[in-house]
Amino acid sequence: MFAQLHDISVNFGEVRALDSVSLDISPNQIHAVVGENGAGKSTLMSVLFGLNVNYGGQIFINDTRKTWATPSDAIKAGIGMVHQHFMLIESMTVLENIILGSEPNKYLGFLDFQLAEKKISNLLETYNFSINLHQTVDKLSVGQRQMVEILKTLYRSAELIILDEPTAVLTPAERLDLFNSLQDFKNAGKSIILITHKIDEVIANADHVSVMRAGQLISSLPIDGTSQTQISEEIVGVSKTKSISRKKIKAGSVKLNLSNLDILGMPQIGNAFNLEVKASEIVGIAGVAGNGQSELIEAIIGLRSSKSGFIEICSRDVTGADISTRRDVGLCYIPEDRQKRGLALGAQLSENASISSLVSKAFSKGPFLRKTKIRNFTEGLIKKFDVKASSPSALASSLSGGNKQKLIIARELSLESDVIIAENPTWGVDLGAINQIHHELLSMRENGHAILLVSSDLDEILTLSDRVLVMFESELSQSFCTEKVTREELGKLMLMKASDKKEKKKINTA
Amino acid sequence: MTALSLFFILLLLLNLADASFFEASQAFLKSAFGGRRYAYLYVTISRCALITGMAIAALIAFRAGLINIGGEGQLVIGGFAAAFVSIYSGVTGVPGIILAILSAMIGGGLWAVLAGLMKLKLGVPILVGTLLLNYPARYITSYFVSHPFRDVASGMPQTLLLDKSLWLPFIEGTRLDTGFIFILIVYGFVLIYSHRSVPGYHAKMTGLSIEFAATSGINIFSTTLKTLAFSGAIAGLVGAIAVLGIHHRFTDGMLVQPLYAWTGIVAALLINLVPWAILPAGFFFASLTSGASGMERTADVPKEIAIIIQGIIILFVASRATGIASDTKNKEEGN
Repeated sequence: MFAQLHDISVNFGEVRALDSVSLDISPNQIHAVVGENGAGKSTLMSVLFGLNVNYGGQIFINDTRKTWATPSDAIKAGIGMVHQHFMLIESMTVLENIILGSEPNKYLGFLDFQLAEKKISNLLETYNFSINLHQTVDKLSVGQRQMVEILKTLYRSAELIILDEPTAVLTPAERLDLFNSLQDFKNAGKSIILITHKIDEVIANADHVSVMRAGQLISSLPIDGTSQTQISEEIVGVSKTKSISRKKIKAGSVKLNLSNLDILGMPQIGNAFNLEVKASEIVGIAGVAGNGQSELIEAIIGLRSSKSGFIEICSRDVTGADISTRRDVGLCYIPEDRQKRGLALGAQLSENASISSLVSKAFSKGPFLRKTKIRNFTEGLIKKFDVKASSPSALASSLSGGNKQKLIIARELSLESDVIIAENPTWGVDLGAINQIHHELLSMRENGHAILLVSSDLDEILTLSDRVLVMFESELSQSFCTEKVTREELGKLMLMKASDKKEKKKINTA
Repeated sequence: MTALSLFFILLLLLNLADASFFEASQAFLKSAFGGRRYAYLYVTISRCALITGMAIAALIAFRAGLINIGGEGQLVIGGFAAAFVSIYSGVTGVPGIILAILSAMIGGGLWAVLAGLMKLKLGVPILVGTLLLNYPARYITSYFVSHPFRDVASGMPQTLLLDKSLWLPFIEGTRLDTGFIFILIVYGFVLIYSHRSVPGYHAKMTGLSIEFAATSGINIFSTTLKTLAFSGAIAGLVGAIAVLGIHHRFTDGMLVQPLYAWTGIVAALLINLVPWAILPAGFFFASLTSGASGMERTADVPKEIAIIIQGIIILFVASRATGIASDTKNKEEGN
């Protein structure tokens, strides 16, 4: 199938998520689309698959212009999509899951399971899949579930299959199987779009690679003659000019110390963690989301337990301690997901603003709330951080995204904790708020706080951090002095296999 | 407009039942608020106390996101505990009353905590756990009053009558027992708890966003158990008031059949869990029940029609009340 996306633009509010992107997809090809989080890959695919209908530009399928009202129009036109999060019904069998929504009918509207089974068996044979159609999905491995999702698209005669981060959840052996199948589809004349972060997979399997950055298409080239280095440089781009300068301060004593910490439930099998953050220091952890950063943070906060090793905050062992103990010892947390972890949207601003201090009993007298104090405190935060809100009794849901984030940061920083954990603190926030948040973090650093900054925005890491580490496949790299490392070197570490020791050594010795 | 259509529907129904509207509504008002020396009004207030109590029990748990629909079980356990302790402890007078009430509250509280432990240790949803615990509560007490602790002479599945010194006294000069005073105290207490206390704040935040509450350091485990214990204890207290103030013994089914617990849940939901509105809501449901049964008694309106009328009035009030609630919510968000 020839698919053409022509001049596609999408706006989310005032943010331009896609800026006139044009992309040609040809049959008999695996076309990789790569880029950082938020580069616009998923948005582009949601336009192609009919999930997003508010866009500018045109879609052509085999040279005819098409518009979709819903994804089912796109499916009818021969487009299939395998989402990163599978959409399967666990208690139903493989067969039932595959035919769900386009069941073959017999007379009187009875289901023709035999016909369906025959059709699917043919597919299994053609593409060398082996799966028991009568097994319920809850008993399947992740790789097998993905196979069911792919079969769903094939059963609906998809000629163009979009795979969103298909290897993120797979074991190495399952990855190999997947790419073998993709080659088979390609040889059968289908078009494959592969969305991924992993450049080595692109080089090994794709025929064509398109790089996206900040809503724009940077390049679209055949894989022959394109090097890993070239792609990774295009993904991370050139540095934006630094508007903020960090004062030189000597770091103090160790405030946060992770020692051989082996965390439960990491997404990949990695090593135990060793990490130190000192007073008056910002340590940045760079990396593409999903490489174990959120699990590491949860372990530090106390939301996730660990198998072995220990965590020290201000030289006190808090490995088995609960969240409020850790906060009392000296920890605060700016979460990435402000809607879920950062705020209770149905509660008033004052209730949201005072929660951390209430837990530490600063705003209560015996069992009673000190209402006036809470109100004054909230008004102070709103003023100091310039949160656009009508009053402390307004609901948190009435704030815009940037103002929600300011309120969270104002609350957490007001605790004056020794250790500050900031997880993508400027994610989805406008430029003015970003500068303000960066300034606040830097002034906390000057005041002697130890800050751990986890961000998938490399510019942010390089602007703020004294030292930087890269997280890839649940492993931390060694730490680099920010002045002595380039974004290209970090980009490589973020996007390539850690076992690629040669590359790594080169950087280490550089 | 809505009031007018309500009027016509009622007229139609009464016409169907061959009763005059005037007669029926008079019967309704009289048996809800009138009677000789206001006897019916006192019944309504007494019933209002029980329904409001159960509504408060539901509200406390619901606000914390704990869908405790096991008020019935906690109520029955509380009522039985009060009767059992009153009859067999031998303590009489005011100390006996206090002892009975405390046992009822502890009993009801523990019964609710059981559902909390099932949730926290075994992952059984609160909704399922509390609902299922209604059945053992009902049938264990049913067995107790049918066999080991039965008042054989009475011929009914019920306990012995309580010693007179344990009966809650009437308010001077009336036939109104003092049970409702306990509920008024609880009502005041819950207003303070919801708006001005730390545990109430923790419960509210946990109910609004459990993940946010946990991340901020609120102990979900203890908040869950404490809140359930509180909710169950109030249900237990209601059981004690019914035993000590109204029936003076525990009869099988006496707390289940009038649907106190379920009416309480409906009342709490009707007012969108706004604490101050719980007392008017309780009074509304109590007068509706009293009025409907009076209509049946004196105006020859069949019981079924009376129940339908009751349902329609609830429906109208509910749509109004929810409308008002969402209006105020929108206003806050619009700011």
